[in-house]
Amino acid sequence: MQVMALLYGDESRWDAFSDEEREAVYAEYRAFAEEAGIEGVIVGGGELASTRDATTVRVRDGESLVTDGPYAEVKEALGGYFVFECKSMDEAVEYAAKIPGAQHGAIEVRPIYVDPAAEGAAS
Amino acid sequence: MKYAFLVYGDDSAWVDLSEEEQAELRAQEMPRWMTLFDELQKADPNLAGYELDGRDTAKVVRVRDGERIVTDGPFAETKEVVGGVFVIDLPDLDEAIRLASLVPTAEHGSLEIRPLVE
Repeated sequence: MQVMALLYGDESRWDAFSDEEREAVYAEYRAFAEEAGIEGVIVGGGELASTRDATTVRVRDGESLVTDGPYAEVKEALGGYFVFECKSMDEAVEYAAKIPGAQHGAIEVRPIYVDPAAEGAAS
Repeated sequence: MKYAFLVYGDDSAWVDLSEEEQAELRAQEMPRWMTLFDELQKADPNLAGYELDGRDTAKVVRVRDGERIVTDGPFAETKEVVGGVFVIDLPDLDEAIRLASLVPTAEHGSLEIRPLVE
């Protein structure tokens, strides 16, 4: 199964970091990716720019409404994601707990929906 | 520039439907999703798209002082939660806004566009 891990964290913490502190965090992530990657678990992932750079789009009665900023102003914002290829949700939780951000933020894991019709065609 | 489209929608009505009802709704909306997928594919043949299972399938993992804390349910307590993510390489934000407006969920939910750090 594929599972998405959504990484939530306090952006102000990151904003306050020096370059050296940021480099240390990136090194932790590289170490995590190497560990998980070796076993073929990480099949996707990315780091999102700050919510300050977000744009939100809604369409109401055929009109596009575009606003600057994120969907919701929250203390802990979505900052990145991984896609795991794993056997079960329990295994996904195991890997999520190893993500460096789990130490201070929160990692949400959700199965990725597979259309039963599409899966039948592939197998 | 790579962008993530975060698809926020209220799935509380959706999860209460039977599998048959979900399949029917899915089939009804499918032509519009196919139009969207065509447009996205044209813009970036290497795009990635992920639809997430309902919020009741979510678990949240935190580690505090070496202890793992796992809770059921999504991280956000909001009415609308992330239900899907697209990652797509586009020339600029205007194109991102144009494509995000084509996502059927934008008509009742919200599409958040975030650049990726490369």
